[in-house]
Amino acid sequence: MKLLNSVNNIWTYVIILAFGVIGLLLIFPLFNIFLSSFIDNESGVLTFQNYIDILGRRYYRTAIYNSVVVGVAGMIGALVIGIPLAYFTSRFHIIGKSLITTLAILALVSPPFIGAYAWITMLGSNGWLRHILENVGISIPTIYGPLGIILVFSLKFYPFVFLLTAGALSTINVSLEDAADNLGCSPFSKFIRVTLPLVFPAVSAGALLAFVLSLADFGTPSIIGRNYRVLSTLAYNLYTSEMGGNPGLASTVSIILICISLIFVYFQRNLIKKKDYGSSLIRRPEVKKLKQAYSIPVHFLCYFLVILSSIPSIVVIFNSFRNTSGPVFKPGFGLDSYRRIIGDVPEAILNSFLFSIASVLMVVVLGTLIGYVIARKPSVLTGFLDSMIMIPYIVPGIVLGLGLIVTYNSKPFVLVGTPLIIILAIFIRRLPYSVRSSASILKQIRTGVEEAAINLGTIPSKAFLKITLPLMMPGVIAGALMAFVTAINELSSSIILYVGGTVTMPVRIYLSVLDGEFGTAAALSSILLITTGLAVYGVLSISESKENVFV
Amino acid sequence: MSSVQLINIVKNYGQVKALNDVNLDINSGELFTLLGPSGCGKTTLLRTIAGFHKQDSGTIKIDGSEIDDLPAYRRDTGMVFQDYAIFPHLSVGDNVGFGLRNKNVPPREIKDRVAEALETVRLSGLENRLPNELSGGQQQRVGLARALVIQPKVLLMDEPLSNLDAKLRIELREDIREIQKKLKTTTIYVTHDQEEALVISDRICIMNSGEVSQVDTPWTVYKNPEKYFVASFVGSMNFVKWPRQSWLKNNPLSLKEISLSSKGVVLDPNKENIIAGVRPEDISLTSEPIDKDHQNIVMSGIIEKISFSGREAFFHILLEEEVRLLVNVSRPDELSLKEIGETINLVFPKNALMFFDEKSGSRC
Repeated sequence: MKLLNSVNNIWTYVIILAFGVIGLLLIFPLFNIFLSSFIDNESGVLTFQNYIDILGRRYYRTAIYNSVVVGVAGMIGALVIGIPLAYFTSRFHIIGKSLITTLAILALVSPPFIGAYAWITMLGSNGWLRHILENVGISIPTIYGPLGIILVFSLKFYPFVFLLTAGALSTINVSLEDAADNLGCSPFSKFIRVTLPLVFPAVSAGALLAFVLSLADFGTPSIIGRNYRVLSTLAYNLYTSEMGGNPGLASTVSIILICISLIFVYFQRNLIKKKDYGSSLIRRPEVKKLKQAYSIPVHFLCYFLVILSSIPSIVVIFNSFRNTSGPVFKPGFGLDSYRRIIGDVPEAILNSFLFSIASVLMVVVLGTLIGYVIARKPSVLTGFLDSMIMIPYIVPGIVLGLGLIVTYNSKPFVLVGTPLIIILAIFIRRLPYSVRSSASILKQIRTGVEEAAINLGTIPSKAFLKITLPLMMPGVIAGALMAFVTAINELSSSIILYVGGTVTMPVRIYLSVLDGEFGTAAALSSILLITTGLAVYGVLSISESKENVFV
Repeated sequence: MSSVQLINIVKNYGQVKALNDVNLDINSGELFTLLGPSGCGKTTLLRTIAGFHKQDSGTIKIDGSEIDDLPAYRRDTGMVFQDYAIFPHLSVGDNVGFGLRNKNVPPREIKDRVAEALETVRLSGLENRLPNELSGGQQQRVGLARALVIQPKVLLMDEPLSNLDAKLRIELREDIREIQKKLKTTTIYVTHDQEEALVISDRICIMNSGEVSQVDTPWTVYKNPEKYFVASFVGSMNFVKWPRQSWLKNNPLSLKEISLSSKGVVLDPNKENIIAGVRPEDISLTSEPIDKDHQNIVMSGIIEKISFSGREAFFHILLEEEVRLLVNVSRPDELSLKEIGETINLVFPKNALMFFDEKSGSRC
């Protein structure tokens, strides 16, 4: 392969721009974090002391251990919920299948810290569900701690497993299952020995996403974990500690976070190596009718799981209409909380929309262009670009936020404290989604149409604008809406980057929950949820292969 | 070795009659082929025997006992799939041993039987390979070994060769024939390829629109088709319509200079239009003038097109307006100088003609 396909066209500039952006907003900040993890906080000399501290002291080691525990447990929870749901909905006639999928998608896109917060209002120390249960004589422990984190993670990240596995289950060659049947395999043993191994690549990809995102999540352990230390909260606390932050140690924790993610990515890649079971000879599985006896339990299970995962959203919207007096909920309903947020924190709402729209515009323009060069101009450079673009997937928001602060807090580029740094953080974190979606749409558009335009005398850049771009448009818009959804719900990088004037809704919700201002938190969360819901509705109505947009 | 009886099998998909009252007796140890065009119900029938779906009514018996209520995994049939259906995550050895493991056969015996089965299909020593390292032909051999090793009562083969290229197809079908003859496993073989069916089968069942058209040996099916459909589907045949008014008035079949009604064929006056057929290879071509006799039919026509394929040639002869005959010449040497537009003589024995009732499609 050539280094570049041709030098003298606009795609060359796109590639240069892409590398520039990734270099400045991703590689350089990460490199600075890496450097700073080797620098002693007080003396400023190069040292391994930070690593020795983190790996040597029990206080820090516990955080590593805890992170892996809740990450793995959240992943297992996601598998336990996601696989049966995928199996039943892809193989049998389930009434209201699209409702189930939609609820799962909503659970996926709603911010995890809202889940944490909602479960607290139900099962926290003052939780109403706990009170009700106590009144009937059932005493259950509060939701705080690792179990609460794991519950929220499982219910939050199972849709990755569900959607990916369902997709794989409906495209495997059903002759293989018939063959197992024919050779005397009972239905359950067939599922374990044949079906599951065949969809393993998809299952493990979903599991990996659940793990990596659990590991990176800051809001959930911070809100519901109480004293349960994990790496993301540790990094945040080390950096913002009131006794003087320790950027060196925070950086070391960040590097360890990335390393753990990388280990799991590497592990998964190795597991699925040589396991591409795709085949052109495919007999698609048929969707069967459930036997009468199984119909009710299976429907119950499916609906139970998706409703359980949407409870937080329902509870939050419900809470937002309850009357409050200061931090406490009062009987009766009204618009108190909404009045309060409009009076007290209008800038959070405004900022959220401004920052998200600004970053999404940048994401869409650059993402579409990069997607195009990756899909259509294969070369060593674009291949390298393709793998670089995946880095944000494994860099927790907290870590990226730290990296940007470390990098852009001194002249000539003082960005810390400006809205721009928050916008850039969201931008670089969401760029891969847009790149990947536009690259995958392009794979469905035949190159012939653009070549035909060029053959008829159109110059290449115009051919792209006039022919390919219009064909990509539905996908681009769907991708933009998805980027918007994740952008407006961004907490983990903003929490590090915000200052008084650049506070966003997720940050405000987080702070309100910490202060016990549950009414304000509920009203803000409801605005977020409804905005998110509308965007998802938009995606579902323009996108053809619905579920694939979300994972 | 087992026999299979299919009694009044009916299967509908909505309005479509996929299987319409199918009755078949398959003898122990024979290779029985279901032949027909796509959509004729042959694969549906095979999958019903395997238990992948259940007939709406009717009974399937293996060795005299009903298997209607047994799920697919208890039917003890071995199936070879069109798309091989080799488990991609298991080695060749594990694929072949899969069914034995379900029967709780001891590991050591599994190993021996797997090795033996692989030897039978000429894949010895490939136990540890993964399926994606094998060619299509090898994968289908694994499929065959996997189905045979469990010593099924019946071997079911669903178009096993249709995804292979022509040369492999011929090689593997010879092997299947040989192995089947040696093991004497009752085999039901589905194909849409009539040549394959003729070569491989003990008996052929020709199916059309969910119904059985004819069950016979390959020889009989080809030489003595009972139905218009069978004659047209197996091999190629020239058909000429002979309208009712025409044969009632003793007018000759609309072929030049033929008078059939007077000789040989006695036709039921209730019949409607008749279709006459003759196989292309039964007709001879010559430039020499031929004397008429009552054994042969002699005609002349104009060469319209010649398709030469080396071993043989097909001549398209125009007899009169809109009436054409296809003639297969197996040694085209002496006709090689013939050109399009030339007149040529045709001759074929009268008993090579077959007549079918246009309405019912049966022989008359």
